[in-house]
Amino acid sequence: MFDSVLFLLSAILIVVGSLGVLFIKENIMHACVALLTALFGVAGAYAVLGADFLAATQLVVYVGGVVILMLFAVMLTGGGAANENKFGIEKIPAMGNVKTYIIAGVNVLVISLVVIKIMANVMQDYKAVALPAYESTVEKLGTLLVTDHVLAFEVSSILLLGALVGAAVIARPIGSTK
Amino acid sequence: MNSMYPFLFLSFFMFVIGLGVMIARKNIIAMLLGIELILNASALNFVTYTRFVNQNLDGHIMSLFIIIIAAAEAAVGLAIVIRFFQVRESIHIDDAAQLQA
Repeated sequence: MFDSVLFLLSAILIVVGSLGVLFIKENIMHACVALLTALFGVAGAYAVLGADFLAATQLVVYVGGVVILMLFAVMLTGGGAANENKFGIEKIPAMGNVKTYIIAGVNVLVISLVVIKIMANVMQDYKAVALPAYESTVEKLGTLLVTDHVLAFEVSSILLLGALVGAAVIARPIGSTK
Repeated sequence: MNSMYPFLFLSFFMFVIGLGVMIARKNIIAMLLGIELILNASALNFVTYTRFVNQNLDGHIMSLFIIIIAAAEAAVGLAIVIRFFQVRESIHIDDAAQLQA
């Protein structure tokens, strides 16, 4: 019962947030907030699926990190309001036009049909096995991370360091060579 | 929840919407939002199959690394966007035509 209600709320959040990211046109900041809504919904779906550590990580990393980074980038690049560039050509940076939306719709339709056609033959519905009442995954995940997947764990730390340094180097102000 | 279909449909919906965002939007930051949606859809798929097929938590590890890579990708992508805005004073994707010669 509780799972069904939580899943329903998560599904509503995901659907509304995703459609908001696609269709909110006047302000890119609002699209970022819609993405925030969708990510909250994904965290709720993780909670329904029994992935407690992943739900917490989703909230911390995405909602607290990535979306805030997006908002900073939006604010640093002029807020996304309709404006003109230096050639006097009017730019409406937050939106596409009718043509691009039609192209996207056709693409989405074709890919949906192809995937459904392919998947209809191989899909089988697995029923949920009855899990114990509540079982935390944190301890098992920690053990797995430092035993089976320790190489990927270390490589990801190097990746994060490289991304940090690379972002700092790329985004430095123009003219500062040091 | 006793069936995996609702989660798979939700994940597929997110993937398709993310694809549509990447095609339809003309703003580079909005396209990055679409990439985030696609990555989240794939992570949700991993967790769904872990819950319903086998419970050995390897899918959770994959989702964790997807989150890590998404964070790194967002940092570098937004740095590139800010650099592009410094050079071109625009974040419209049609202005990124320098390499077309």
